[in-house]
Amino acid sequence: MFIYSIIVATLTSLLFLTQSLKKEAMDVFIEAPELIVQRMSAGRHDLIPVGYAEKILSIPGVSSVEPRYWGYYYDNLTGGNYTLIARNIDALHMVKGTLPKGPGECAIGKGVADVRLTDLNDVLFLSINPQQKVSLKVVGIFTADSAILTNDLVVMDKNDLVNFFALPKDMATDLIVHVSNASEVPTIAMKIRRDYPDTRPITRSEIVRTYENVFNWRGGMALTMFIGPLLAFAIFAWDKATGMSAGERQEIGILKAIGWETTDVLKLKFWEGMAISLTSFLTGSILAYIHVFYFGAALFAPVLKGWSVLFPPFNPIPYIDLYQIFVIFFLTVIPYLASTIIPSWKAAVTDPDTVMRS
Amino acid sequence: MILHPGALALITGAVLCFSMTAYAVVLALKIIWHWDISSSSELQLALERRTYLISTVMNYVMGFEILSLFLYVYTLDSIHVLFVGAMCATGSLNANPIGWYVLYTRIAIFFLSATWIAINYLDGQAEDYPLVKLKYKFLLFIAPMIFLDGYLEIKYFAGLKPDVITSCCGSLFSDESKKVAGSLAGLPIKPMMYVFYCAAATLAALSALSMKVKASIVKYLTSFASILFFPIAIASTISFISIYYYELPTHHCPFDILQGTYNYVGYPLFVSLFGGSFFPVASGVAELFGSVPSLREPVGKAQKRWYVVSIILIAIFVGFSSWPIVFSGFTPF
Amino acid sequence: MAYPTPTTITAITAPSAIIAVEGVSKIFNAGEADEMRALDGVTLSVAKGSMAVLKGPSGSGKTTILGIIGCMTRPTSGKVMVNGKDVAKLPEHFLTDIRRRTFGFIFQHFNLIKGITVKENIMLPLYPTSIPIHEMKERADAILESLNIYQKRNYHVEKLSGGEKQRVSIARALINNPEIILADEPTSHLDTKLSEDLMDRLSRLNGEGKTIVIATHDPLVYDKPYVNRIIEMRDGKVIGT
Ligand SMILES: Nc1ncnc2c1ncn2[C@@H]1O[C@H](COP(=O)(O)OP(=O)(O)OP(=O)(O)O)[C@@H](O)[C@H]1O
Ligand SMILES: [Mg+2]
Repeated sequence: MFIYSIIVATLTSLLFLTQSLKKEAMDVFIEAPELIVQRMSAGRHDLIPVGYAEKILSIPGVSSVEPRYWGYYYDNLTGGNYTLIARNIDALHMVKGTLPKGPGECAIGKGVADVRLTDLNDVLFLSINPQQKVSLKVVGIFTADSAILTNDLVVMDKNDLVNFFALPKDMATDLIVHVSNASEVPTIAMKIRRDYPDTRPITRSEIVRTYENVFNWRGGMALTMFIGPLLAFAIFAWDKATGMSAGERQEIGILKAIGWETTDVLKLKFWEGMAISLTSFLTGSILAYIHVFYFGAALFAPVLKGWSVLFPPFNPIPYIDLYQIFVIFFLTVIPYLASTIIPSWKAAVTDPDTVMRS
Repeated sequence: MILHPGALALITGAVLCFSMTAYAVVLALKIIWHWDISSSSELQLALERRTYLISTVMNYVMGFEILSLFLYVYTLDSIHVLFVGAMCATGSLNANPIGWYVLYTRIAIFFLSATWIAINYLDGQAEDYPLVKLKYKFLLFIAPMIFLDGYLEIKYFAGLKPDVITSCCGSLFSDESKKVAGSLAGLPIKPMMYVFYCAAATLAALSALSMKVKASIVKYLTSFASILFFPIAIASTISFISIYYYELPTHHCPFDILQGTYNYVGYPLFVSLFGGSFFPVASGVAELFGSVPSLREPVGKAQKRWYVVSIILIAIFVGFSSWPIVFSGFTPF
Repeated sequence: MAYPTPTTITAITAPSAIIAVEGVSKIFNAGEADEMRALDGVTLSVAKGSMAVLKGPSGSGKTTILGIIGCMTRPTSGKVMVNGKDVAKLPEHFLTDIRRRTFGFIFQHFNLIKGITVKENIMLPLYPTSIPIHEMKERADAILESLNIYQKRNYHVEKLSGGEKQRVSIARALINNPEIILADEPTSHLDTKLSEDLMDRLSRLNGEGKTIVIATHDPLVYDKPYVNRIIEMRDGKVIGT
């Protein structure tokens, strides 16, 4: 029973965790641009000439094109990887303070603020080499709610960023294309690719799908790893139920002798199994809920995430999906019930006259 | 291959159901070979005890199959985001058409295993186990279906490729689609409504008649009517019941009504439909055994009850189908 | 091997016979090295409303025949008529049904279930039936009252004295209002006073019209004047009635 609850708790935690990570990511992606155009060079993402924007703008259905400037910065001091991004119009909200309004200012993610021990109005100093360096006044810090996307972020003025990374003139990191009619996105993506064979247009739905897959895959992998213990548990349940104690055999013998039928005992055993598995299931789910949503899945967050030191501190928004609960139910209660069939039957066919011979 | 938790749960369930059925088949074979009601040997006693095991296993298999039918539809709904163009469960099914066959086999398994349980119930009502060999032979017939269903389900999930461009209910259940489903959706609403209400009324009337009249032919006719009613009801769900619930003249998907957005109305709808069309069939099957002397009385009793249940369920189904037609202001024509 | 006796015919046809056993054999582990012929052509009958005793040494087959009469075990061969119906070959489902309606059992060991209360123990035989729960409770209370253990109804059975346990097991045998009460060595774990008390109660039940069959080798039981029939057994055969 205890083991059962623990297994349910583990499985449920896993699914809760992936699910809320996924949901959080999805919530943010919903606001992501519909179409991003990157330039590829030698199979790698390369800077894109801002001049491409004009021609793209002339494609019917495109309402505006905007260059984006961003890059990664490895901070020797803390060993963390930051994402530096130039402020653009639809920048993220959820900020304490303001977003940078001009050169010399920046807004940073919670993670960056924490590892650099920086607070509002402090100065953030970044440097790649003696030539490429910048000091910025922190005017905003992103709140924890958005940590999954903003944790490692440093938002700064475009000129500061271009100078810091020494980007060539008229080159941007990628282009954001706004399309007036969402259903035309795939067509426009195709046209861009035809006009500029060296580009790679990425649609939002592609990103969403990729993320879906990554999360499903992670959740699935983790579940697969648990099939083993689950089987072990089923065998354990089997063992426990088959090895009927003398007392239990006696009790069933009495029931049969005083007028219970095999089917009555089978029903009793079924409800017994239901009671055990449902209590364990509920206990396990509640444990998982507490574990994931109050303790941030402290016990195995590292398994599921952790690419970078600056991976978001996980503060999932409590969120329950009935579907997930049903999946867990299916993975735990059903194998358990199945494993009790034969032992219950063995108990149920006890001869009623055994009680007269003890 | 898609490593989705729901897919894993379903595959686990399929493997379980299959192993349980295989086990039941082995037990059933022994019974078919060695059963001898007149003997009081230890073997016969052991076989009798085994009948309880087989019944239990089959009850569980049916329970699991029903749950996994629901889980299957939910999972389809949950994975649709993986496919370009998919907006709901239908889109996921079209991403790998084997999915449709899984749905069909599972519905078939529901009816077959429910029939088995009905026969098993009747057999238990007679003092001489008159149907024992027959019911286990029937079990041998159901087992391959369960195997096929599990196999198809694994093949479906294994064959799913994310990013596949698929068509969804919008196109599948739209009037222009060339597929069968499309033609179902394209059925003119008004005539379809007449057919539906006539079919429901006929089935209910025949069920009521079967309770009064002794003649077997009436009962067989009722079973036949209910076998016809099931596809008509499904077609009606796609053709007009769904659009009244969605209040969208082009939305025909039969799965979306299971969602919370539509107050889970799909559950009472489908449960009453499956139950309501099963019981007249079961009564017809029971009629086949009405001539066995020891079964005459139990069959009569069971049929009476089953017809009443079926009439009630059909009434519930018609009630739920007509609710939005009567009370929503939506008029598609 | 059948054991034909002239009484066979009368046993079956006697209108007052509530139990009629004809040529019943029971072989345990048939065909194996430890084959055991526990009953060998037993024929006997018990009249409705009588108080009968099955008497015989240990191993003579008393418990076995009681189990067969009580629809717990099926004989290897022979006929077993209970209330005019042959139960020898009935499937379990029907045997149980007859057992529930017809018999009440009093066992050698009290065979009460530990961990639940006296009242719950008494109601156990009724759970599989369609009797509503409030009626079950009413019946249980009435029987507890009549056996003077009503005040102990919420005790767990392991806290009861031997005499109280005995009364609880009688109460349980009576809850389904049986026509026949079967008792297997009911006095073997009781002292003289309690044995007398038990016999008293059984004779009173007999006076209320219930048929009673007791398997025993206790003289205190079979020497009672109100025992109106003694069936003697030895080695699986009836040797005198
Ligand atoms: N399940 C069994 N398997 C094999 N032998 C059995 C079984 N049950 C009873 N026997 C044998 O059948 C014979 C009759 O047993 P039974 O219990 O009916 O005797 P009894 O008259 O009740 O004896 P006692 O007075 O000791 O209770 C005994 O020799 C016993 O060993
Ligand atoms: Mg004995």
